[in-house]
Amino acid sequence: MNNGFNPYDPVRARLIDIIDESPNIKTFRLEPEREFSFKTGEFIQLTLDGIGESPFTPSSSPYVNDRLDVTIMKAGYVTEKIHQLKGGEILGIRGPFGRGYPVEKFYGKEVIILGGGCGLAPIRSLLFELLEQKEKYKKVTLCYGSKTPTDCIYKPMFCDLNKVENFQCYRSVDVADDTWDGHVGVVTTLLDQINFRLENAVVVVCGPPVMMKFGTLKLLQIGFDPKDIYLSMEKNMSCGYGKCGHCMLGDTLVCKDGPVYTYDEVKNYDHIW
Amino acid sequence: MNTGHLLSRERWEEAVEGLIRDYKIYAPVNLWGHMDYERINPENVKQIVYNFPRPITPLKTFFLPVKQNVSQSTVNEKMVILGVPSCDLQALHLLDAIYLDEKLPDTVYKKRRENTILIGSDCHQTLDSCHCTTYGINPYPESNIDILLNLIGDKIILEAHTEKGQDLVNNILSLVKSSAVEENTRQEILAAREKTKAELFNRNKNLPDYMTTGKLIRETNGTIWKKYAEDCVSCGACAASCPTCSCFLLIDRPGFEKIRNLDTCQYPGFERVAAGEDPLKPLSQRFKNRYMCKYVWKPVRYDAVACTGCGRCIDACIGRINKNELIVELMDKVTV
Repeated sequence: MNNGFNPYDPVRARLIDIIDESPNIKTFRLEPEREFSFKTGEFIQLTLDGIGESPFTPSSSPYVNDRLDVTIMKAGYVTEKIHQLKGGEILGIRGPFGRGYPVEKFYGKEVIILGGGCGLAPIRSLLFELLEQKEKYKKVTLCYGSKTPTDCIYKPMFCDLNKVENFQCYRSVDVADDTWDGHVGVVTTLLDQINFRLENAVVVVCGPPVMMKFGTLKLLQIGFDPKDIYLSMEKNMSCGYGKCGHCMLGDTLVCKDGPVYTYDEVKNYDHIW
Repeated sequence: MNTGHLLSRERWEEAVEGLIRDYKIYAPVNLWGHMDYERINPENVKQIVYNFPRPITPLKTFFLPVKQNVSQSTVNEKMVILGVPSCDLQALHLLDAIYLDEKLPDTVYKKRRENTILIGSDCHQTLDSCHCTTYGINPYPESNIDILLNLIGDKIILEAHTEKGQDLVNNILSLVKSSAVEENTRQEILAAREKTKAELFNRNKNLPDYMTTGKLIRETNGTIWKKYAEDCVSCGACAASCPTCSCFLLIDRPGFEKIRNLDTCQYPGFERVAAGEDPLKPLSQRFKNRYMCKYVWKPVRYDAVACTGCGRCIDACIGRINKNELIVELMDKVTV
């Protein structure tokens, strides 16, 4: 902050690749003009020059700091404009901000990950982190749900992950089509199919609010401790570093105390979903 | 440091004129029956109003203007703000806790704070909506001032409270003649303080203190918020006139520039996220949110009061919502 650092001034980054993930989700690969490191689960503010800025959690590995992937669903004004980009444009990145996944707390445990829709973006970054030191975790189980098979993102990743020892992936779709012969049902129904030892497991949940809500309720029903359920809270962060007040969640600020919270930390606040 | 210096009002006004060269000076001036801060020039220096309660504009606007380019590192001119009331100075505890947080301070706010000399004054009168004492704040400055200034009769009394304030006082003393403050003048200052305090206490004795207000608000749900919100039109005047409301939104301009616009949770869409989900969509939720923020969340997070009892929101509301009436009604409904 001192030495002339202005937190409102974005680091410039060139858009070097665009990957179509689903009809309304794309991954944008950025090359920042200087090294940009982040911890998994922390978020950035991505600026489209003169248009606007939105918060995203990078979906790439926290061990790579010369490029950055941001997976974006077309959902509003800024993301619509971002989806129109062709590649080669200069964007702006501010951050990283917030508190990411406390992976050191997962050491020696079974990590169950419940992801829905574009919520798989931060989870992909977390998976890169877990893979990097995979011997530290007892087991990693990913349960991912998408509306339809075409809405599933990072398709090649699932095959690769299933080849890794102690990593297992399960997928479901809400509505099947001709290409699908897997599980049909909301993502929480996958929890009935997997094996875990409750007392030594933590769960990471990331997805649309309705999925987070019902996912958490189901986990509580199964008997998980609210302290072992990790949620990614979505708020309309503007400044990113605790000044603008847009992301107040009770007496906490999602941009500083989150976006990753345990359910125990947020359960008493109104309107968390 | 607080020895105090006494100047005739005439000499003081000469000194202010002398300072206009080096500082942008703002002081309360009576404009068409409304008291507000005005930039002081040789023509209006005699119209400065002393020891009057809070001006219409809260102090925060000097440090957080309604609209500001936060990408450019502008060199701020030195400012002197004169006649700042206690309620607004108290609000700085909260604003400083947010904006001057040690790890990541807001440089733009910081620079403005550093370049400003704050001259606080006791309130010798009160307005109907003033209720600072209810929240444990005295109607005379006790912190966040560089200089204390009071007008007693036709004499100005100056008291430096910081090094920055002392430098300015020395500067003033080099320009005009002054004398020591006599004991009877000190007594007059103290008597005026007690009078104002008693006036505020008597008028607001039906109001619960800050902690109790917080408890009442936390424990209440449902109908009362809907009832009062019926008169709310989301204009945001309560937040704009509030000395502690400081939420903002960044707006983008070409060249990766960010414009900071003051914002409020009273406006629709304040918490709306990408796919359209908005926990504060119903107006009554937004209305309640402001009370929760002021009396429940901010004091916990920042260890500072987020309502200083200035009463501006009561006067500013075009729906004539009086938050103190709401709080009294809560007292009848909730037992704490």
